[in-house]
Amino acid sequence: MSDGDRFAVTRIDELPEVPVPAAGIVWRPIRRTLGIQAFGVNAYTADAGQTVVEEHTEERLGHEELYVVVAGRATFELDAERVDAPAGTLVFLRDPSVRRHAVAEEPGTTVLAVGGKPGEPFSPSAWEWYFAAETQPTEQGIATIRAGIEQLGEIPPLLYGLACLEGRAGRIDEARAHLEQAVAGDPTFGEYAKTDPDLKEVVQ
Amino acid sequence: MTYAVEQVTNIEKSRALVPVRLHFGITAFGVNAWIGDEGVVLVPEHDEESGDEELYVVLAGRATFTIAGDTVDAPAGTLVYVEPAEKRTAVASAPGTQVLAIGATPGKAWEPGDWELWWPAREAYEAKDYERAVELTRQCLVDHPGSPGLLYNLACLEALVGQSDEALDHLDQAIATRDSFREYARGDDDFASIRDDPRFLALTGEAKAAGAST
Repeated sequence: MSDGDRFAVTRIDELPEVPVPAAGIVWRPIRRTLGIQAFGVNAYTADAGQTVVEEHTEERLGHEELYVVVAGRATFELDAERVDAPAGTLVFLRDPSVRRHAVAEEPGTTVLAVGGKPGEPFSPSAWEWYFAAETQPTEQGIATIRAGIEQLGEIPPLLYGLACLEGRAGRIDEARAHLEQAVAGDPTFGEYAKTDPDLKEVVQ
Repeated sequence: MTYAVEQVTNIEKSRALVPVRLHFGITAFGVNAWIGDEGVVLVPEHDEESGDEELYVVLAGRATFTIAGDTVDAPAGTLVYVEPAEKRTAVASAPGTQVLAIGATPGKAWEPGDWELWWPAREAYEAKDYERAVELTRQCLVDHPGSPGLLYNLACLEALVGQSDEALDHLDQAIATRDSFREYARGDDDFASIRDDPRFLALTGEAKAAGAST
C-alpha cells in the first residue's frame, strides 16, 4: 500500500487474506486496512464452488448492502431466489431481513460489499474484530477483541467473542463472566453458547 | 422491493457518470460509477467540501488518478482512498474503464450532495431548456427546502431566464448558508445578465473591491 498523508492506494489482491472458517469465507478487510470511518466496505474472494458471501441477514445491524462483483462470477441466493452475477453486476439489498448468500462460479471471484444504516452515522461492525481475532493465536485474538471493546464499548457480540477466546484459552472464570454480560445484553447469545465448542466448559 | 440487480453497464449514463445510488434508491451511503474509454475524464477534479471520505474502486480497465498533485496508475482491482480536503481527478487510460466511487462523512448520517438533489433538473439545464429547469429546480427545493446548492442553481437559472429579482434573492439565500458560493458566483457565466447589478456586486463582494481600487 502506498500511503500519502491524506490518501492511500492498494489493490484488492494485496489486502490481507483472512480465512474465516466459521463463515466459510475469505475476507479482504478494506475498511480496517484503509481506516475508513464513514461506511462499511470489504471484499471477499473465493474459487469456484466456494462461498464468497456467507449466508446471513442484516437484521441485527439494519444495514442496506450493495454487493459488487469485481471479478469472476457468483450465484447469489436472495431468500429463495437465485441470481447469476458475472463481473460488473451490482446487487442492492434495501431490506435487512433478506437472507443472502453467494457462491463463486469461477476461480478468483471477488465480491465487494458496501454497507451502512440509513439515517445513522456509520459505526464499524463488531464482526470485523471477531473475524480478525478468529485467525490469530488465542492471546492475540483476545487483545484484538479488547481493542474492539475499547472502540465500540461492551457490546454483546464482542463480549461473546471474548468469552469464546477466553474459553479456548482455559480462562473459564473470565469467559463465564463475559458470557453472562453478553447474554444479559442479548439473550440470543445464550442459545449460541449451548452448542459453541469454545464454551463447552464454560456453560457446564 | 427487497432487492435489485443490475449490470453497471446497463444503468443509464449521463456522459461518463453512472448514477448508481439514484438508480437503486440507496440511502445509507453515496455510490456512483464512471465508465469511459481512454482519455475520458472519469472523475472531474474536485475535493469533498462536505467532508466525505471517498473510496474509488477500479472495476475494469485502467485509470490514472491525480491526487494532491501525485499521479497514481490504477489498473482494475485498485482501491484509492482519499480524505475530504484533497483535490482528486481520474482519467481513463484503457478502453471500457469502470470506476466505482463510494462516499460518506464520518460521524454523520449520509445525505445526498447538491448535484444529486439537482439531478432531476440537470438534463433540462444541459438542453438549455432553462424555463423547464427553473420549474424542476423549484420542485427539488420543495422536496429539499433550504438546500444551498439548489438555491444557488435556482439563482443561476432565474438569471438565465431574466428573473433578476428572484435570482438575486436566491443567490442571497445561497451565500447566507454557504459562503463559498460568493466566490463561485463571481466567475459563473450563468449570472451574465445580472453581473453589473449593484446588488449582485454587493453579494459577491465585488462592490467593495471596486470601491477599494478607485
